[in-house]
Amino acid sequence: MSKLSIKNLHVAVKGKEILRGVDLDVAEGETLALLGPNGHGKSTLLAAIMGNPAYQVTEGSIFLDGQDLLALSPDKRSLAGIFLAMQYPSEIPGLNSADFLKAAMNAHSAKPLSLFQFYNALQSAYEAMGIPFEMSKRNLNEGFSGGEKKRNEMLQMRLLQPKIALLDEIDSGLDVDAMGVVAKAIEQEQARGAGFLVVSHYARLYNMIKPTRAAVLINGRIAVNGGVDLIEKIDTQGYEWIKRELGIEVEKITDEAMNTVSIGACATRVAVNHDGK
Amino acid sequence: MTENESLQRQLTYVDEIPETLSLHVPVQGSLKLALAAFKPLHDTTVTVEVEEGGSFEGAFADFSRSKYHFTLKVYLHGKAPNCDWHLAAIAAEDDQKLFETSVYHEKESSLGLMANYGICENESKLTFSGVSEIQKGAKKTHTRQVAKIIVFDPKSDGQASPILKIGENDVEASHAAVVGRLSEEHLFYLESRGVDETMAKRLITLGYLKPIEAYFSDPKIVEQIDNAIEGGI
Repeated sequence: MSKLSIKNLHVAVKGKEILRGVDLDVAEGETLALLGPNGHGKSTLLAAIMGNPAYQVTEGSIFLDGQDLLALSPDKRSLAGIFLAMQYPSEIPGLNSADFLKAAMNAHSAKPLSLFQFYNALQSAYEAMGIPFEMSKRNLNEGFSGGEKKRNEMLQMRLLQPKIALLDEIDSGLDVDAMGVVAKAIEQEQARGAGFLVVSHYARLYNMIKPTRAAVLINGRIAVNGGVDLIEKIDTQGYEWIKRELGIEVEKITDEAMNTVSIGACATRVAVNHDGK
Repeated sequence: MTENESLQRQLTYVDEIPETLSLHVPVQGSLKLALAAFKPLHDTTVTVEVEEGGSFEGAFADFSRSKYHFTLKVYLHGKAPNCDWHLAAIAAEDDQKLFETSVYHEKESSLGLMANYGICENESKLTFSGVSEIQKGAKKTHTRQVAKIIVFDPKSDGQASPILKIGENDVEASHAAVVGRLSEEHLFYLESRGVDETMAKRLITLGYLKPIEAYFSDPKIVEQIDNAIEGGI
């Protein structure tokens, strides 16, 4: 059975430490709900596992079945069995969705798929996700609505069949029907035996996909590990009880000052009085 | 030739592009101009005059190794004419390529779209300079410019300067210009699906250049463009 094992993980973004020693395990066949206040490191953890170069691992380890993921590039981590459904999937201008999916599926196959195999798999995935097949001809995520992007992430998960899937707020921007479609896709992968690390702020998704356990990430560390009752407790009480019961002060995260930007001359307008003043 | 046929023209030049091309699109007429270059080019100027209700669709697939200056001037004379221009260019080795493309909106309800896409590699220089001018009286005109250059090497130089000159109210004018290295975010997204860095760069670059093929009806030219893109990236 595959197992993702994270030990004492420290991660910095632009020199600022976000994760300060995360310990976490996720095995195939289990679904771990990861909760925590905004800005405390949930998305950072998922991005670091996938190998986003904007996130620097300064200490600690991530292993999948004894393989050191930190030594691998993002594509090799994907081939090892990790999948990240992103909160904000990139729009790639000019890149045809079907061309991209074919490249990704071929990368995961021992030999290139035949056209017949590829289109069969593609058609079935589009149908399962309730996405019109015509969208496979459109540029990747370009002009997609928020819900379409999230369903497209799930479509990719279905095609690539990872050992461990990381879902970063996959339910944000989804209406009730789309939420049902996404939950069903997750259930099918759960039935296949995939493991899940799921970040969401809402009990509704968790009620649908039935996690096996939950963890709470606070101040860059896992503050609480427990059963699924944690989800309901946080849904009804928020995070105040953490300080009361565990003595952990929840740091307030403030936005950094905005970067200085310059706008082009074409975007500026100068008003001049006719009398020259 | 019927009257209808004379109103609809299609011109294609592959490599043998004249130094000067002066073209005229009559009232309600249409012209499709397709240029493709795979061999070294000389300085070239294309002038297109479009009358009322006329339509000009132009495309240039430039994969030559050249040092040259390409000028395109489109004059939208009458009411409700339109211009759709698309360029895809690769500059490599020590190429020096300057593309100056201008659309002049003279009367109301005209439409002008310019899309210039390029990549520059090695020690080459690629410059897109575009001017969209909406003159007095050209109300309800819509004009848009897109100029995007991917710079692959530290010694290559890409510059894009879209300029909007607006002399009338009640118009829509916009531009988008991007010059830079491949987006790290885009690369990460593709790599996170198992696509290696080389293939990811290739897919993104193809996305920049391949849409030009839609402007060419001859499959042999499309194949040549395909080969040039493959060879260029």
